[in-house]
Amino acid sequence: MADEKHDPPRPFDVRTVEYLLKLMTEHDLAEVDLKEGDLRIRLRKGAAIPAGFFPAPATHTHTPQYPVSPPAPVPTTQNPTTTPAPAAPTKKYHEIKSELVGTFYTKPHPDKPEYVKVGSRVTPDTIVCGVMAMKVNNDIRADCTGTIVEVVAKNDTFVDFGTVLFRVDTGS
Amino acid sequence: MFRKILVANRGEIALRVIRACRDLGIEVAVVFSEADRGAPYLALADQAVCIGPAAPAQSYLYQARIIAAAEGVDAEAIHPGYGFLSENSKFAQMCRDNNFEFIGPPSDAMDRLGNKDKAKTVAKAAKVPTVPGSEGLITSEKDAARFARTVGYPVLIKAAAGGGGKGMRVARDEEALIPGLSAARAEAEASFKDGSVYLEKYLDRPRHVEVQLLGDRHGNVIHLFERDCSLQRRHQKLVEESPGPNLPDKVRQAMCTAAVRLAKEAGYYSAGTCEFLVDQQNNFYFIEVNARIQVEHPVTELVTGIDLIREQIRVAAGERLHFSQKEIVQRGAAIEVRINAEDSENDFRPCPGTVTTWRPPGGPGVRLDSHVVTGYRVPPNYDSMVAKLLVYQPTRAEAFAVMRRALREFVVEGIRTTIPILKRIFDTPEFIEGKVDTTFIERVLMPPKRG
Repeated sequence: MADEKHDPPRPFDVRTVEYLLKLMTEHDLAEVDLKEGDLRIRLRKGAAIPAGFFPAPATHTHTPQYPVSPPAPVPTTQNPTTTPAPAAPTKKYHEIKSELVGTFYTKPHPDKPEYVKVGSRVTPDTIVCGVMAMKVNNDIRADCTGTIVEVVAKNDTFVDFGTVLFRVDTGS
Repeated sequence: MFRKILVANRGEIALRVIRACRDLGIEVAVVFSEADRGAPYLALADQAVCIGPAAPAQSYLYQARIIAAAEGVDAEAIHPGYGFLSENSKFAQMCRDNNFEFIGPPSDAMDRLGNKDKAKTVAKAAKVPTVPGSEGLITSEKDAARFARTVGYPVLIKAAAGGGGKGMRVARDEEALIPGLSAARAEAEASFKDGSVYLEKYLDRPRHVEVQLLGDRHGNVIHLFERDCSLQRRHQKLVEESPGPNLPDKVRQAMCTAAVRLAKEAGYYSAGTCEFLVDQQNNFYFIEVNARIQVEHPVTELVTGIDLIREQIRVAAGERLHFSQKEIVQRGAAIEVRINAEDSENDFRPCPGTVTTWRPPGGPGVRLDSHVVTGYRVPPNYDSMVAKLLVYQPTRAEAFAVMRRALREFVVEGIRTTIPILKRIFDTPEFIEGKVDTTFIERVLMPPKRG
C-alpha cells in the first residue's frame, strides 16, 4: 500500500479511488464518472482506458494525465524498489515526455530486465524505454543527464504526445 | 457498424463527427495537438489523444501518429474531416492497410479526382462539359502563351494539386502571363509540394454552383442537389445557399445528373462535391471534385433532411444507401455564413485570442455548428473559422429575414469576427436578388483602396 505520508497532494487520493471501486463492485456498476469543479474521475470496468485520456480542462495550467486502471482489489501496487513519489516536490525534476504515440514498454522483452529503474544514471544516449506503434518498436533515449527518480508511465500502457514517462534528477 | 471511430481533425468538424457518432451509438475518440489541449469540445468525445505540437505537420498531418492513435484507442475507422489529410490518398491507403476503414472515398477514385488535371479527363469521359483549358499541365511558357492566345484572355492559372484558392492567378493579358505562372507555381509548391499548373479560360463573372454527391460501396450514387457558393473572397467561400437562386430547373437537373455520371465514371463512393462554374448564359462547366465532406455540407442537410456525416459512416461500414434518387427532395431554402476570427474592417486580418463573450443566436430556423464557447482560446495555428451559422426557412426571403435576425443577436467579444461584413452582405440588393457572381465581394463590397 502506498505510504500516504510520502504521497504528493493529489486531487483524488487512493482512499477515494478504492471507495469508488468498492461501490462499483458492490452495486455492479460498469462505469462511474464524477466531476467536481475542474476535476474529473472516470472509472470503467473492462478494457483499460489508455493514459493521456482526459485533456486538461481549460483552467488547468499543468499537463495533467489521469491514467485510469481497470478496477482491481488494490488500485496501486508499489514495487518495493520504487521510492514513493516525492512529496510536494521541493526540487523541480526534469520530465522525459513522450514524443510518440504508442504503447510504452519499460523492458525490451518480458524476459529481459528493465531498461532503467529508479536510481539508474542516464545520459542522453541511454535508452530508457520503448514505444511501440504500428508494430514497430522505437527506442527512446533520455534527453538529459541525471538519475531516474520516478517511472511515471506504466508498462504496457498507451501513451500519447506529451505524456510524462520519467522524472529525472539532473543534479544541483 | 463500427464500434469505435477516431476523428482525425479538429475544431467544428471534429465536433460535427463526434455528434454523428453519438447519434449512431458509436464510441468516438479524437486527436488533438498541443495548441488544442483543453479545448472544451474534446471532452465531448470518449477519448482524446495528443498527437503532437501545434504545427500541423507535426500533428494533424502526421500520418503515422494518427494511425498509432487509432491503434491505441482500438478504433475501427478513421474520419478525416475536411482539409488536413482528408484528400490524401496515401493516408487513405495507409489507414486501410492498417485495418482501419477510412471514412471517405476509395484511394484510387481520390487519386483520379484529386488532381484537377486528371479530373478533367474523367469529366470528359463522362461527357461532362469542362472549362476550355490546356490539355494537361503547362510545361513551358511558350505553351502557356499559345494556349492563352487560342482561348483568348483572360486566362486562369491553376495549381493541379490545389484547393482552397491557393496556387491560382488570373492573367488578363500576355504581359501578366509569365509573372502569373511563376507566382502560381511558387505558391503551389509551398502549399501542396507540387508546383504543377494548368491553364483555363477565365469565365466572365461566373457563379460557383456545386452538387453534393453520395455513393455507397454497392455502386449506387445519388445527388443531393446543388449549393450556390458564389460569394467568395480570394477564392474562400463566405456564404453558401441551396437552392441556387435564379437557376433554371432544367440547368439544375442537367448539372446534378452530370455530377452523378462523373462520380460513377470515377468509381466514387462516400460523400463528395462536384464543382461547376455557371456563366451568364447558364452554361455550366465542370471545374473540380472535392473528394471529401465539405465545410458547407449542412446547407444540403437542411434542404434535404439527410445527415451527411451519418451517411458517410454508414457507407464506410458497408451499408447500402437506404434511399433512392427519387426520394431526395429539395425543400425550402437554407443559407450558411462562415464566421471567421478575422477583422473584416481591416483586410480580414486574422484575430486569434480568447473569446470573452460568446452569445450565439437561436430560435426558429437557426442552426449553429461551432466548437467555440465562452472562454475558448482561438489558436493562431489553424484556419480562423469559429462558427457556421445556418438558417432554414420555407422561402429564400424568409431565410434572409431569419439570417438578419440571427446575425443581429450574435454577440462575440474578445476577438474580431466577420459578422459585420456578413450583415452588410444580407442588405446588399444584388445578393437579395440572387444576382451575384464570384467577383462580387471584391468588386462591390471591397473595392481596391485608392492611392
